[in-house]
Order: sequence, then structure tokens, then C-alpha cells
Amino acid sequence: MSTYVYGFAPATHPMPIDGLTGVGAERAPVRLIREDGLVAVVSDAPEGLRAKRRDLEAHERVLESLCAAGTVMPMRFGMVASDDATVQAELTSKAEKYADLLAKLNDHVELNVKGVHDEDALLGDLLQRHAELRERNDALRAVGGGDEQDRIAFGEQVSAAVEERRVQEAKRLVAQLESHATRVRLGPSVEGCFVNASFLVANSDREAFDAAVTALRDAANGYADVRVFGPLPPYSFVEVDGADEADG
Amino acid sequence: MKSMSVMTTGGSGGSAAGALYDVIELILDRGLVIDVFVRVSLVGIEVLTIDARVVVASIDTYLRFAEKCGRLDLTGGRQPMGLPDLVGAVTGGGAERQVKGALPGPREAIAETLEGLATPDKTSDR
Repeated sequence: MSTYVYGFAPATHPMPIDGLTGVGAERAPVRLIREDGLVAVVSDAPEGLRAKRRDLEAHERVLESLCAAGTVMPMRFGMVASDDATVQAELTSKAEKYADLLAKLNDHVELNVKGVHDEDALLGDLLQRHAELRERNDALRAVGGGDEQDRIAFGEQVSAAVEERRVQEAKRLVAQLESHATRVRLGPSVEGCFVNASFLVANSDREAFDAAVTALRDAANGYADVRVFGPLPPYSFVEVDGADEADG
Repeated sequence: MKSMSVMTTGGSGGSAAGALYDVIELILDRGLVIDVFVRVSLVGIEVLTIDARVVVASIDTYLRFAEKCGRLDLTGGRQPMGLPDLVGAVTGGGAERQVKGALPGPREAIAETLEGLATPDKTSDR
């Protein structure tokens, strides 16, 4: 029987796992493996486990409920060890590294921020600001839209302006929020979002962070929507030795 | 997790089930990876994350932008919009005043503004 691993935590974590069930159709109970001042949160992994909605939810549910009780380093979804001994060996061999990382995450949560432009508002604003785009748009209108080549060429120019705006506003948004965060990491690009960024925020800074988001949202009223998801397990802030830094 | 830290719109309630798809790219692409463990096959998972830049740069998008721009009503004299402080600062550099075809001016203004914004002291990888 292989072992599904949810995350690692310090041995001092209260670990309220009673009633928590894990991945797989059998919903195996969540259990703990203790070693070297650390504790691994695991459950038996069913044969042929595949990523299903049910399993993604189980992974997230286990981590969220334990993160609410103390610091946990979350695994990426789907990490399976061949047996408990493999998990124990991992904890032993990297005990110091994991303890350091857990100490850095102590009393912090991950907040994920996504921003979405209202496309009509964005395009309207770009036309108002860029005389060249506006004139070209007027010219195409005057001839009933122009031929396809003209429309593509104009759309490409608009697209470049949109992309430029997205990049600059993503940077602006991050700049306005990061003073309330301990760390920032950009997330993978998500369709429709001009920004997807995760912030590692100390519990003591969360009120200020929320206030900064609210101020941004109010200022962007009707033009963009800014949403915060969390508190989340600190998925974006658990890389060890700089591994995994280059992706996304 | 009892509730979203901040919510703007109704809908997802912040529970594991409700918020799952709003942060699925983090669950699938972030989190600790341990070499000696194996990873469950993600075959069958519809990966929702794609490069937004690719979406913007496509013929279909060009045509859609052109069509939308053609239909927009710009006669209302709306106030310029944008995230606070940013766009105002950039266009203050002359986007409205630019001579037709003279792109370098505003481009430089934008670059300078971005430079100031793009140097976070804290970790901001990518």
C-alpha cells in the first residue's frame, strides 16, 4: 500500500485529524507519521489513484483544516510515496531544511489575488487615451469596418496596447499590495486575468492587506475586478533550494 | 477556511469545494514536490491555466478587439479609468499630446514608470 502525502508540519502542530478523510473512493482516514520533530500528514493511497474532482477537494480540505490550526507545508496535489518508511526517510534526511521552512511560514497565510478587466471599459479607455488608436478606429468606422486585413491589423495594434496595459497594471497591483506581505510570487497565467499573484501575509498584516485590496477595488470600480482567495495553504511559498522557482 | 478574506461577488463561499476551481492552478502547479515520491497522473484533468499572453495575441482576438472597438460609444466623455495612480502617471507623459505616429515619447514614459514599479525588494520570482 503506497502512502498519499498532504503536507509536513512541526511536531508541535495540534493536528486535529479526527474525522478527516483523504483521497480515493474509499476516503481513507487521514493519519500521521512522526519523525525528527516533524509530522507528515498522510493517508493510504488507493491503487490507480487518478486526479478527480473528489480527490482535489479532499487534498484541499485536509490542508485547509490543518492550516487553520497551525503551520503546514502543503504538497503539490498528487504526491505519493511508495510506503510510510519512504516518508520517514524524507523527514529524517531533510529535517533541518523543513524545520527552517516551517519557521518562515509560521503565523502566515497565502492570499491569492486575481484581477480581471472589464473588456469594454478597458478598450474604451485605451481608445480615449491613444489618439492613434482612436483615429484608426474612426477611420475604419467611416468605411463600414474596413476589410478583414485592416481589421486584423487594427486589432493587433489594440491587442498590443491591451497587453501593455495588463503588464503595467499587474505590476502596479503587486506594488500596491506587497508592502503588506512578507513575500510575493506570481502564479501561473490564467485566462482572462491580467494578474494572478500570491502573497504570503502575516496574520498581523491581514487587516491592512484586505484594506489595500478594498481600496484598489473601489478605485477600479467598473474597470476591473480584484478578488482575493484565501487564506490558503502556502502552496506558493514552499519551494526548497530554489527548485521550482523558474516555472509559471 | 471559513470565508474569503475579501469577496466582491457572490458565488463561491470560500469552502474547499467552493473555492477549489478559483485556485486550482495553485493546487496543481505549486506546493512542495519531493523527488523520491511519485506523482499521480493528471491525465483527465482539464488544465485551466493557459498563457494569457497567447490568448491576447491571436487573429481571433484581433478581430474581436477591432469589432468591439468599432461598436464602443466613446461620446460620453467618460473619465479615464485604470488602477489608481498608474495610468494617470503614464499618460501624463504625453500620450494624449503625442504627434501622430510618434510612439517613442509615451513608450519611454511608460518604461520609466514601470521601472520604478518593477523593482520589488521582496521576493517576486518569475
